Amino acid sequence: MATLTKAPQHAATPPPAKPKKPLLAFEGKLLAPGVILLAALSILPFIAILVMSVSRIRLLGGVAVGFVGLENWARFFTDPDLAANWLRTAVFFLLTLGLEMLFGVGLAICLWRLLKGRNAVLSLLLLPMFVAPVIVGLLGRFLTDSTFGLYTAVLRTLGYEGDILGGKYSAFAAVVFMDVWEWTPLITLITLAGLSSVPLSIREAASLDGAGTWKSLRHIVLPSIANVLLVALLIRSMDAIRYFDIIWVTTNGGPADATKVVPVRLYETAFRFFDLGYAAAIGLVMLAASIVIARVFVRLLDQKGLTR
Amino acid sequence: MSAVSIPASPLERGTKKARVIVWIVLAVGLVWTLVPLLWMFTSSFKNDQDVTSADPKVLFAPTLDNYTGLFTGANNLTPYLWHSIVAAGLSAFLAVAIGALAGYGLARTQMRGKKHLSFWIISTRMAPIAAVVLPLFLIFRQLGLIDSIPGLVLAYLTFDLPFAIWLMSAFFADLPPSLEESALVAGCSRWQAFWQVILPLTKSGLVTTFVLCLVFAWNDYAFALVFSGPNSQTLPIAASQLVTQTGIDWGQLCAIGTFVVVPMMLAGLAVRRWLVTGLTLGAVTGE
Repeated sequence: MATLTKAPQHAATPPPAKPKKPLLAFEGKLLAPGVILLAALSILPFIAILVMSVSRIRLLGGVAVGFVGLENWARFFTDPDLAANWLRTAVFFLLTLGLEMLFGVGLAICLWRLLKGRNAVLSLLLLPMFVAPVIVGLLGRFLTDSTFGLYTAVLRTLGYEGDILGGKYSAFAAVVFMDVWEWTPLITLITLAGLSSVPLSIREAASLDGAGTWKSLRHIVLPSIANVLLVALLIRSMDAIRYFDIIWVTTNGGPADATKVVPVRLYETAFRFFDLGYAAAIGLVMLAASIVIARVFVRLLDQKGLTR
Repeated sequence: MSAVSIPASPLERGTKKARVIVWIVLAVGLVWTLVPLLWMFTSSFKNDQDVTSADPKVLFAPTLDNYTGLFTGANNLTPYLWHSIVAAGLSAFLAVAIGALAGYGLARTQMRGKKHLSFWIISTRMAPIAAVVLPLFLIFRQLGLIDSIPGLVLAYLTFDLPFAIWLMSAFFADLPPSLEESALVAGCSRWQAFWQVILPLTKSGLVTTFVLCLVFAWNDYAFALVFSGPNSQTLPIAASQLVTQTGIDWGQLCAIGTFVVVPMMLAGLAVRRWLVTGLTLGAVTGE
């Protein structure tokens, strides 16, 4: 009743001239709750991590923060282990992204050429994406268990004897492949969407000219989905740099630090050794790295006119 | 060759050799993708001996022991399941509710500094988990939010909320502003135009956003590892503890894995049509 009488009145009051000012206020009102909550959830932690990075923090008997100046930062730049962690992260980053792009695009091209059953096959291929990373890690441990793992048995028939998660290189390869298993589907999905939006005329022109399949792919199809591939690459890179769960439950950074990437090191520093100040310094640098990637990402979207 | 062929791309026909290659690649892809999942699923119905048999068993006498074990006895999962549903569900719901409002505001506003605002929003989503967990841990400890469901919901909102705002604004931006304009002319208030005209048109966006937020929160491990305790532990934590505390009961682990994974797969496939938009934050529009 109240709304019924109120609505027409409200509509009648402002003359249909220029409702410009109230429009802006309305959008602002809708934005406010989200922006305020997000600010509380991101700006406060950001200030906290800044303070933490120049402090020594004690947790026993309540939180105590003591200013230590640049001690943590001095350590940051002289820590030989940390440099190794960063290097390992970079290798991990390049390997996973490279393999995911390769497999993902390959599968997408094959799916795209499928006339029947494309959706069914795609649905099956997408399944790993929805698996919790912890479960991927635990399942990986199960499959590579040295006595009864399925993949251990398969590798044994191929002549590989050895504890997969126990060896330096094999453990690193294993965690790389677990990530590749989980996230290749994402690249397939995005690439396929890009391929499907390539105008038919371009593809027809390519094949009717007598250009071979490979040639038309390389020179016509791939260039026209370059933007989409770039977006896929950036989306994945944001996640690859903070990859943590799978390593934590499979190798815990070992054996002999072989899989200790920066996020694992940070976690360990903070929640195993409770050196929160030093962990904060590591965290801030990770944050800076990811903001650089995010900047590139948004700029590219801007250039393509994809942001609003 | 004939003019009446299916109007699909000519590339899709290809030579015989090409078709064979396509099928081989897809078959290898399917085996690679599905074998671990099928192995987990079948192992969840095996008894202890079959699970840890040195030569992998494809044929076995199925048993439900692992599943009944999940809900009875020492490893009773019911509280964990409940924590997972409440924490993930509530954070996804809040993210969509607040995110839809803010997403609409962001899509339609002409304010100065809009670019900076949207960059800030997306950058909070992309911040490394560890760099967020660390200061939140200290803040939550001060506020007494460690080991509580509200704490977990807030922690999940750090990634669900910016995601929801950005994604909803992508869905809203796809709707022409003329829709609200005609609603306004017809006598609606701005709020009515949003609530009664625009929002119903983006049902698919709301559902997709909710499902993706739910998947992210449900699958989270890092946040729950730090912030949860006996009163708030979630299923992923329960799964990982099955390994470290009671020795490794792989049959039961496969059962819990199936239990964690299947609902999210079904939810994800249900919104598959909009997944591309969702997972690229609207930067690539799907088919």
